[in-house]
Amino acid sequence: MSIYTDAKYMDVPYEEKLKLFKEVKDDMRYDHNLYGCYECGICVAACPSARFYDFSPRVFAQIMAREDVDTFYELLNDNVWDCSQCYSCTRCPRQNNPGGIILMMRDAAVRAGLQSAKDALRAYSRIIYKVMSTGTQVAPDMLQPDFFPDWGTDVKAVAENLDVWRRAIPPETLHTTELAWDVSEKTRLELYMIWKLTGNLELIEGIDEGIYMILEEVMEELLDDNGYDIDDFENILED
Amino acid sequence: MSNKPILVIGGGPAGLEATRGIADLGYNAILVDKSDVLGGNPISANYAALTPDMRSAEEAMAEMVDAITDNPLVDIRMNTTVVGSEGDAPNLKVTLQNESGEEVVDAGSVIVSTGFQHFDPGKETQMYGYYEHDDVITIVDAEKMLKDDNFVVPSSGKKPEQICFIQCVGSRDRQIGNQWCSKVCCGIASKQAIEIRDILPETRVFIFYIDMRMYGFWEDEIYWKAQEEKNVNYIRGIVTEITKRGDKLLVKGEDTTMGRPMEIPMDMVVLSVGMEPSEGTTQMADTFKLPLESHGFIGTTGGALNTVQTKVPGVFVAGAAAGPADLEDSISMGGAAVMKACAFLRKSELQPA
Repeated sequence: MSIYTDAKYMDVPYEEKLKLFKEVKDDMRYDHNLYGCYECGICVAACPSARFYDFSPRVFAQIMAREDVDTFYELLNDNVWDCSQCYSCTRCPRQNNPGGIILMMRDAAVRAGLQSAKDALRAYSRIIYKVMSTGTQVAPDMLQPDFFPDWGTDVKAVAENLDVWRRAIPPETLHTTELAWDVSEKTRLELYMIWKLTGNLELIEGIDEGIYMILEEVMEELLDDNGYDIDDFENILED
Repeated sequence: MSNKPILVIGGGPAGLEATRGIADLGYNAILVDKSDVLGGNPISANYAALTPDMRSAEEAMAEMVDAITDNPLVDIRMNTTVVGSEGDAPNLKVTLQNESGEEVVDAGSVIVSTGFQHFDPGKETQMYGYYEHDDVITIVDAEKMLKDDNFVVPSSGKKPEQICFIQCVGSRDRQIGNQWCSKVCCGIASKQAIEIRDILPETRVFIFYIDMRMYGFWEDEIYWKAQEEKNVNYIRGIVTEITKRGDKLLVKGEDTTMGRPMEIPMDMVVLSVGMEPSEGTTQMADTFKLPLESHGFIGTTGGALNTVQTKVPGVFVAGAAAGPADLEDSISMGGAAVMKACAFLRKSELQPA
């Protein structure tokens, strides 16, 4: 039972919260991310997100230090995606790393396929698809106001005449809108296999099944065309 | 060298250290204690392990008592009180009283080490119900339970699942009239929390505080240890009342750093009671006409530069009789008082009045 009279998520079974809490505590990074918390607020004062959102890196450190499972679950659902992962919070006198705690919690939220994780990552599905299918990161044509409303009003103006803006940049290699740069097919396929074999594709499946299915279809056809048999690699790993 | 003894009143840590120091310097000491056992509060109040080094209180006090036992320069008077004093140091005539009657002794100088008493939680102005609920105890009660190796819920005899400490009970409180910080309770509560988590690893322990005052090495040796290794829950916010709900105690408060209201069921609540001047301290101030400082402890002169000189020449104070003190303070003051008392005697011999 939560210590707070205004607790949320009291309909979620405690065991479910505890399981996720233990996952985070068992993370090998945990002992390096959290010692104890004075609740002094130096991390909040340093945090850019805290200036714009109702967000506090301090709360993550203090709630985890107290092993408050109910409030951990509130944070996991309501606040864990508000961090910009800049690690300004690491100036902590106890040498805590609230941003690192948040990263571990995000991993747990993604692994559990929490709705909050799906909502937060929806805009990034296109980026994941782009990275995993082309091997390049954010492409200029992805900067659409619909997807990144928090990037401000200029995004709309830039998106309307993207091709012109890109061609205004001196190096010819950047006169692209669909790709940041060209990646060889061999590299793309090797990266895909690494992601697949290390379980990253499974994580994506839990968060956005649609993107996962498209990726798998496109990439495994490409693998076949190039004579790769992914089962061979799985067999090698199992041996 | 003067044969007049230095009278030490109170055989707690400060008085024991003072007595040892007097004898070590070759002066005579009379140690008076109203009880039948030396060691002061650590013994009479059944302290288990001392803060911060966790050494057994019994063992540490025995070491101090051994250091003055069977010393020809030390005259120990147990079950004895000081009931009167005539004249001025170094020519004091002090009346001692015990079962067999009164006796007047000469004293060249006096060291008052009559210490403190634990705040009586019946006087608190919150609603903690110490005398109402069996499972509301004090850190003093907890010490005894830890010493007896029997830390259980008083009403049921079972292991507690969830307990909390409430800090600053009887300290830092204008309502009560005790405006001082008692210095040691943050450390003692944290020390006890560590001990409880050691013997009952399944028990969840909370400490509700206003400020944690873990000065010097207590910081990482006790506070960080309790929080980082024992997962003691430190929550800034003081409980306003304790009510009974079923067989649990419900504590109500605000988590001030989260800005959220709390209601938490507890099996036991431990009140971190502070220090007040002991009855003996108040009586000795009266007997030797020692002005009190504004909080009611024995006043000193010279501020930070002289922690043991009272306003009466030749009469010194050591330990918690002069204000809240931890063991280190008390021992250091015992030594400082000896130095001043012996210097006072020596000067009076060289320049007789």
